[in-house]
Amino acid sequence: MILLAVKNFVRSGGVRIGLLFLLVAGLASLLVGHQFLNRQQTAVADARAFQQKDFRRSAAVHSHELGLLLYYLKFSLVNETSPLSGLSIGQRDVNASVQSVTIRALEGQKYDADLTNPTNQLLGNLDFSFVLIYLFPLLIIAFTYNIISEEKESGTWRIVAVQSNNLLRFVGQLFLIRLLTLLGLLLILLALAVPLLGIAPDASFGLFLATSVLYVLFWFGVSVWVASLQQRSSVNAMLLLGIWLGLVVVLPAIVNTYITTRYPVPEALATTLAQRKGYHEKWDMDRTQTMTRFYAHYPQFKHNPVPDSGFSWLWYYAMQQLGDDESATQADELKARLLQREAASRTIARFIPTLHTQLQLNDLARSGLGNQLRFLDYTSRFHEKKRLYFYPKLINNAPVSAERWDAFPVETFTDRAPVGYVGVLAPLLLFILGLAGFGWVNLSRSVYRL
Amino acid sequence: MKALRPERLIAQQVWHTALLNRAVVYLGLFVGLVVVYAVYTGWATFRKQNGLRTTYQQQARHDWLNNPDKHPHRMAHYGHFAFRPKPPLSMFDSGMESFLGSTLFLEAHKQNAVNFSEAGFSTGMLRFGEISLALVLQLLLPLLIFFLGFGSIASERETGTLKIVLSQGISWRQLIVGKSLGLIRLMLTLFIPIMLVAAVLWLTGQAGVVSADQVVRFGLLALAYGLYLSMCCVGAVLVSAVSASANVALVRLIGLWLMFTIVLPRASQALGSALFAAPSKVAFFDRIQDDVLKQGDSHNPNDPHYRALKDSLLAVYRIDSVEQLPFNYSGFIMAEGEKISATLYNRHYDELLAIYDRQNQFSRAMAFLNPFMAIKNLSMALSGTDYASFVDFGRQAEQYRYDLAQTMNELQIRSISNRKPGPADKPAVIDRKHWEDVPEFRYTALDVGPVLACQTISLLAFLFWGLALVYLIRKLSKTLRAV
Amino acid sequence: MLQAIELTKQYTPNRQTIPALNALNLRVQPGDIYCLLGQNGAGKTTTINLFLGFLEPTSGQALVGGMNVTDHLSETRRLLAYLPETVMLYPNLTGLENLRFFSSLAGFHYSTDELAGFLTTAGLQASAHTSRVGKYSKGMRQKVGIAIALAKRARVLLLDEPTSGLDPKAANEFSDILRRLSADGAAILMATHDIFRAREVGTHIGIMRAGRLVETLTTPDLTAQELEAIYLQTV
Repeated sequence: MILLAVKNFVRSGGVRIGLLFLLVAGLASLLVGHQFLNRQQTAVADARAFQQKDFRRSAAVHSHELGLLLYYLKFSLVNETSPLSGLSIGQRDVNASVQSVTIRALEGQKYDADLTNPTNQLLGNLDFSFVLIYLFPLLIIAFTYNIISEEKESGTWRIVAVQSNNLLRFVGQLFLIRLLTLLGLLLILLALAVPLLGIAPDASFGLFLATSVLYVLFWFGVSVWVASLQQRSSVNAMLLLGIWLGLVVVLPAIVNTYITTRYPVPEALATTLAQRKGYHEKWDMDRTQTMTRFYAHYPQFKHNPVPDSGFSWLWYYAMQQLGDDESATQADELKARLLQREAASRTIARFIPTLHTQLQLNDLARSGLGNQLRFLDYTSRFHEKKRLYFYPKLINNAPVSAERWDAFPVETFTDRAPVGYVGVLAPLLLFILGLAGFGWVNLSRSVYRL
Repeated sequence: MKALRPERLIAQQVWHTALLNRAVVYLGLFVGLVVVYAVYTGWATFRKQNGLRTTYQQQARHDWLNNPDKHPHRMAHYGHFAFRPKPPLSMFDSGMESFLGSTLFLEAHKQNAVNFSEAGFSTGMLRFGEISLALVLQLLLPLLIFFLGFGSIASERETGTLKIVLSQGISWRQLIVGKSLGLIRLMLTLFIPIMLVAAVLWLTGQAGVVSADQVVRFGLLALAYGLYLSMCCVGAVLVSAVSASANVALVRLIGLWLMFTIVLPRASQALGSALFAAPSKVAFFDRIQDDVLKQGDSHNPNDPHYRALKDSLLAVYRIDSVEQLPFNYSGFIMAEGEKISATLYNRHYDELLAIYDRQNQFSRAMAFLNPFMAIKNLSMALSGTDYASFVDFGRQAEQYRYDLAQTMNELQIRSISNRKPGPADKPAVIDRKHWEDVPEFRYTALDVGPVLACQTISLLAFLFWGLALVYLIRKLSKTLRAV
Repeated sequence: MLQAIELTKQYTPNRQTIPALNALNLRVQPGDIYCLLGQNGAGKTTTINLFLGFLEPTSGQALVGGMNVTDHLSETRRLLAYLPETVMLYPNLTGLENLRFFSSLAGFHYSTDELAGFLTTAGLQASAHTSRVGKYSKGMRQKVGIAIALAKRARVLLLDEPTSGLDPKAANEFSDILRRLSADGAAILMATHDIFRAREVGTHIGIMRAGRLVETLTTPDLTAQELEAIYLQTV
């Protein structure tokens, strides 16, 4: 009987076309992901090649003045791209994966925007998470909106109801056939992604997979619940589509607008202005004062004298340092504000499965705001490390030739922030249990009546 | 008037049946709520952002003017900020605003990126879209129209009333036109209030002075959206007319909506960016630097270009060292360097924009397959929230930056001594009154003329769709059957 | 086998009470073919729907095999076979596949030959067995419906104007099938407009009007003309 039910499902109009469409979209998304990863690799390779070339060239040109050389040298830092980000590109196309900073004031460099074509971002990436979050539900809706209602409308339901020994189980089987078909497609796509994108079958991927499966189950929960209301097919379709529209278009847009207006970031502009002012006004101030404050920040260099009149690179970098120091309040506020945004999004997303899934997939793929904030943090530490390495050399007037400039490789930041299983899966599970359970109870009550 | 009678009757019937449906009233209310929210947030964001940007623009100017007597090159590095003002119609259509930076630091020798886009600080939610009146008009109203119109002819066919209507001597053309007019009337009951609200918003965004340019923009927007939504109405009726049952018509219309608004835009853009690779940021600046170095490295004392320049100066002035020149030599060199690097930067930047343009060509041309893209692009352009406006801002800011740097170089050439001052000398600075010589940066938005010129494809697509629908009505009127 | 006791069904759209069935009492024994006659809206289909459990009675009881339908929905349905006025089947499956599907729903797993046998008995020519139902005429679908009912080997048959859409020859064959089934001890309740067929095949006849059973007759006692006269007087 199941075999015939499958046959009936597969033969009905549009099912094969729908599956083919989803498969093609899925494959296209994998290619998009593949290309994204390639471009990331190119960007990293470009940065490596440039750093090597430029360090050598600059060291030769400015071979007599370390301070001047360091004015130009940009040390690159790479935010490691997880292969999973090929599946969920997230914010990685907006935020640069390569940061290049000189040891001058950091705040003016840290938020440098990447070169991007904003039309790409406006229209959105056709990545796997889009196929999963937008398109899978549509196919689930198309396959299930008429599960009972259409049989009632066409008249087969009367015979089914009289013939069947267990009507509830029969309805369950109809849902199961569709669920297994779509889960099969999902698994095929993810299985193809593993070799294509070079994904390691680790815990992150496992969780990525589990989240995807639960998301599909969530939509089946929704459709079971809608079916249990025993409305006409067209009502079911509109209801399901309304839910889709609400969860995928309207609610996220409302929440996003809420978050950006609730937590604006004027601190970003304030930081840049404060940093510029903090550094530049030092040119016109007493240099002893500048150096005292610099030594207060770095007591380990305190025993060195204040450079005498005339230009001194140490003084120059001390002024730059104070630019950062004097904008630290604003920079901290900016960071706190962004963390607030992140936390608020997360809390709200728990109640909106589409948002939750997108944010979690981004988290797992290390392509969300959290990753970006950690990368910025690491950039600060990286910058500090470089400063601490070069400050003593500037103080001691170390010659340029004493440094092996080839020995500064491009560093890589690997985001190892843990992702909790419970936080990822529990909201989806609760939704699934609630909807499917509620729907099932409804159905068991109403399915025998006409 | 007389000729239209049966059409009017049919239109009236569409109107009455729709209002009897309680779901329609609820949907209308829902759209109303979304509109209220969109209006509020659009207004709040506009006010807050522009308030901030004006404040910081003023503060940056204030900081600039407050500098003491200085060496002009210090001032060239002190630089200035350009904060991109939000156009008034961004309250209506936020377009790309969130993906575009707001703050540009303008300094000598260096073309910085426009930083601090909303997207850079976003959690990834932004990718689902933003609420704006344009979103309501582009996405939600068409869907609502499809919900109202899917049964317009198909359900009459299903129930058999279609045969009766046609047997009363009504032609297919009259039926289609009548049903379309009925739907359009329903659409207008939502569209007109929304545009009125938009007009109020738009007026508040202009601080009292309404320019002719803005009026043209708003008028064109209202016209374009009216056309777009009317096309959706006719489209819904046509699909309903060719569908065997109301269910089939509903599925087809929803399918079309999804393809047009969700799938095709992404797919076409993905194709564009897959085919035309843009350079990474590092590679982009690497190439500029290579080209600059080829022309001459002003920092390298042995560079042939600058050596030749120096030699020719020495020859003209019949002197043997640059210190004897009657003007500041290093200022002269920097002016030359600035000119070379700015020219090269602009050339590379134009090339980059050309690549982006090629990436976008599919989604732009898609307007002929997909009226949603036509209205989306046109609406953004008219609202001043598209990429062209952003690029225009970047150009004006770059011009300002170049002028600022060259003004400072000029001051240095004229007023700074060629000899390095000793410890006892007066420092090499100029009077702070010169800071006033540099005017404040003011962005002047593009005129509507060039904006429309960029949107030729969208405009043509509108024309194409209008003609296509008229053609379809004529053709289907002859070929449609009642059963 | 089938019994209605004071069976009443009222609809209350917009707070008005519309009685569809008013205190119906009837009893169909094994071997009986009970034909319900009456105008449209007299309550025939409501009666059948109540026995099927598609509707819940407002008051009174519908019993199948001595069990109350409301309380023993799946048990009573197991005893029943049902043939609607218009048999609707899955258009994407063949006649044979539809029969196999619906039989296995009821827990019967027949071989293909057995299934083909049922279809042939129901009058569907062999060449149509394996073509998709989407191409069937109404009469052909009706025959598959008959085959489904046959294959269930039900003790009780509920037939809602089963011969509408059948050509006279097929209708005759259907009457033969009904006689055979009743001879084997099935209890059959059939709603119909066809007075002549009712007299010919039925053992009992009930005439309904406005939700009431206003006349009950046994067929051997009367001719078709008499029945028609009574019918026209009563309705």
